[in-house]
Amino acid sequence: MNSEPETATIYYSPFTIYRINVTPERWQQVEEILQRVLDRPPPDRVSFLDQVCRDDAELRAEAASLINAYDEAGDFIEVPAFATDARILLGGESEHQIGREIGPYTIRECLGVGGMGEVYLAHDGRLGRLVALKILPVYFASDDARLRRFQREAQAASALNHPNILTIHEVGETDETRFIATEFIEGDTVRELIDRRELSREQILDIADQVASALAAAHAAGIVHRDIKPENIMRRRDGLVKILDFGIAKLVEPPSTDLVSERALTKSYTEIGVVMGTVGYMSPEQARAQAVDERTDVWSLGVVLYEMLTGQLPFPGATRMDTMVSILEREPTPLAAASGHPDEFQRVIDKALRKDRDDRYQSAAEFAADLKSIREHPKVAPVAKPKADRSSLRPAWFNYFLILGAVVLLLAVGGTILYRRLALRERNAASAVTTKSYLQMSDAEQMQFIAKQEQRISQMMGDHRGKPNEEAVRAIKAYLDYRLRVDRQTNGEGDGSLRAVYGRAGPYVPLIARSFAARKVPIIIGIYLPVIESGFRPCYENAIGAKGLFQFVPETAKNYGVARDEMCDAEKMTPAAAHYIADRMAELGEDSESVTLVLLSYNRGAESVREMLRQLRGTDNYERNFWMLYAHRNELGDTFRNESAGYVPNFFAAAIIGENPQAFGLNFEPLSTMK
Amino acid sequence: MLESAPMTTLSADNLTGLLFEWRQGDEAALEKLTPLVYDELRRIAHRYVRRERDGHTLQTTALVNEAYVRLAGRQKIEWQDRSHFFAVTANVMRHILIDHARRRHYAKRGGDAQHVALDEADAMSHQRARELVALDQALEALAKLDPRKSQVVELRYFGGLSMEETAEVLEVSLMTVRRDWRVAKAWLFKEVNGEW
Repeated sequence: MNSEPETATIYYSPFTIYRINVTPERWQQVEEILQRVLDRPPPDRVSFLDQVCRDDAELRAEAASLINAYDEAGDFIEVPAFATDARILLGGESEHQIGREIGPYTIRECLGVGGMGEVYLAHDGRLGRLVALKILPVYFASDDARLRRFQREAQAASALNHPNILTIHEVGETDETRFIATEFIEGDTVRELIDRRELSREQILDIADQVASALAAAHAAGIVHRDIKPENIMRRRDGLVKILDFGIAKLVEPPSTDLVSERALTKSYTEIGVVMGTVGYMSPEQARAQAVDERTDVWSLGVVLYEMLTGQLPFPGATRMDTMVSILEREPTPLAAASGHPDEFQRVIDKALRKDRDDRYQSAAEFAADLKSIREHPKVAPVAKPKADRSSLRPAWFNYFLILGAVVLLLAVGGTILYRRLALRERNAASAVTTKSYLQMSDAEQMQFIAKQEQRISQMMGDHRGKPNEEAVRAIKAYLDYRLRVDRQTNGEGDGSLRAVYGRAGPYVPLIARSFAARKVPIIIGIYLPVIESGFRPCYENAIGAKGLFQFVPETAKNYGVARDEMCDAEKMTPAAAHYIADRMAELGEDSESVTLVLLSYNRGAESVREMLRQLRGTDNYERNFWMLYAHRNELGDTFRNESAGYVPNFFAAAIIGENPQAFGLNFEPLSTMK
Repeated sequence: MLESAPMTTLSADNLTGLLFEWRQGDEAALEKLTPLVYDELRRIAHRYVRRERDGHTLQTTALVNEAYVRLAGRQKIEWQDRSHFFAVTANVMRHILIDHARRRHYAKRGGDAQHVALDEADAMSHQRARELVALDQALEALAKLDPRKSQVVELRYFGGLSMEETAEVLEVSLMTVRRDWRVAKAWLFKEVNGEW
């Protein structure tokens, strides 16, 4: 082994100097010696080392070299990387970028920083003009998905040649930097114009008209923007409007792809779902993860027009979910009520914001034509046409039916799902009185309550030998409190609220009950696994997509007859999960301890269950009871420790809430009694 | 502003939710957290560099803490969330630096004029790039041998955490972190610098 000379071959990797032959077991041995030696004062170390390694020269050499290294290391890695390398993080933003040359471009100033890159004003030395140079940050430049999005933007937009679409000059790359050079616009985004409330009705019509014309041209070229919003529209000082960021534009599928499986479309939606932070401008078909066409841009432009006219979004919502529900189900407040604009504006908005795209303007050109006719033949009288806003009369819980509706709709993509509103029907308030609210209990009462419920739930899982110790009860409590906190933070209405989480599980109970009964697996596991496994989120919202009601590693899924792309399909996953658990229990024994083990390694596959068992039997504390495992978790391997510290208490927390809904302010039956 | 890029908008609720999901092993949650943390790290770096220029130094821990408070809003901060935020931050920081170092390191191969210009402008020296690449590889080897020690180093070195905070994040005693640290440091130093 060697120390690389300073000037040497940096081009090859000189760092392959690890002695891979050291096993973790051997390392433990070495470390133990090392720790004991280091516990001694420096003068005593050598003699001590000789003493403990008397019979093992190799061990002595190994330990000695590490002690030398320890002595030599000085302040090696003692100063956090941040102090040395903070500038790297700044990448382009710091002024050392100013004056930097990238290809023919010299950076002059920073125009802005966004999630997808920094934008600079730069001078093009070849053509003597100013350009906007967008540079991908180092981190994202190594992220292939982002890179593809970035390149797609360039390609799609370059294919267009329209005054209202930002011109791309060049897409380039140096070894370290990827950039896109576009024409430089001096002006404001429509977002800024809306915020400053300085747009006249005439200017609004003009902007909408220009955007519609540009979209018509893009659509004619087969490009859908998909992300029209005020941030993506700029107005130059002379009034010329430009659409930016054809970043997620995608060629409209040729007609034959109408046959493309809906699953594939769901996938592309999830990919896009990752990029698009703003749901307010999303069309109903985007919210439903359906195929997108030019009428989606018509919708989004309709939303932008509404916002320019009223200063408000037509489909407001506190969370993404709320907004999506609003988009799918509600009608916007009429313009007259919101801002007193003439009736004809209302007509255009109505036509652009039809939920069913077949009822919308069928093209941006049609939209543009209507906008033009308003400009050319203005009618005067603003006519208020108040329309009952039924949606505002709906109780809050109704929204969750709608969310569930949307969830089910998406899950139904892969199969049919039982959806029973029954599960969430508000219960008679009188029955809630019998249980004391968890939140009203003292800390001691809460602990007692949890311990008691743990016993009850363990019984439902089979026989249970041990009692949880206080530490374990605390662990459950931490998860319970976490969920309650999320609930409070979202006023009981957010995506992670108890109502949403348990409401999500409810409709599946009949399906789970059926499948788990068929395999003789306790139904309680079937109910609370999904609450954990879906990580609070229904399948469709997950960026990976390969996650269902029950989470499997793809390999396991395959062994139980579920294809990779079927893992969001509850009808497939539920019986497979029951089957898998039954098989493991048959190997381990049918008691709650076995169930615990299966739970601990559920999403890691059969081999890991066996491995875990092997590991356990190898320890002195072999005892399959979970709470014993919990107490001894630090002596077990990393995987197992983490699972045992997090997963099972989380499971119990979920089950305690679901079995005692009223104690947590939820008006539905305990999930295990819904059949 | 010339243009604004689409950016995942994450609320504080989502932050705690994502941290929780990440802890549950959801890789997608990390993917969603990363841009958020990245932006925050840049903000921290900005302040750090500015203060440094004025002749002050700031505790990175204090800065990361501040970032968390900013992201999580004014709510009461639970130690678990904070811990996981630290862990994510350390991980993202490592990723960014190593990525930059690798590019820097391998880019040395090229030799055209344009490249030389870039070379001079880079804030990371070749020497430093080399160190980081070596350290990263050694850390990976250590992770295979002794995962917790590698985590300790990631949190301390890339996350800027104190011993105490590292202990909190890993849910082990302060003593354990101290002992892990001294051994990991010796081991890594030896790996990075060759045999002794």
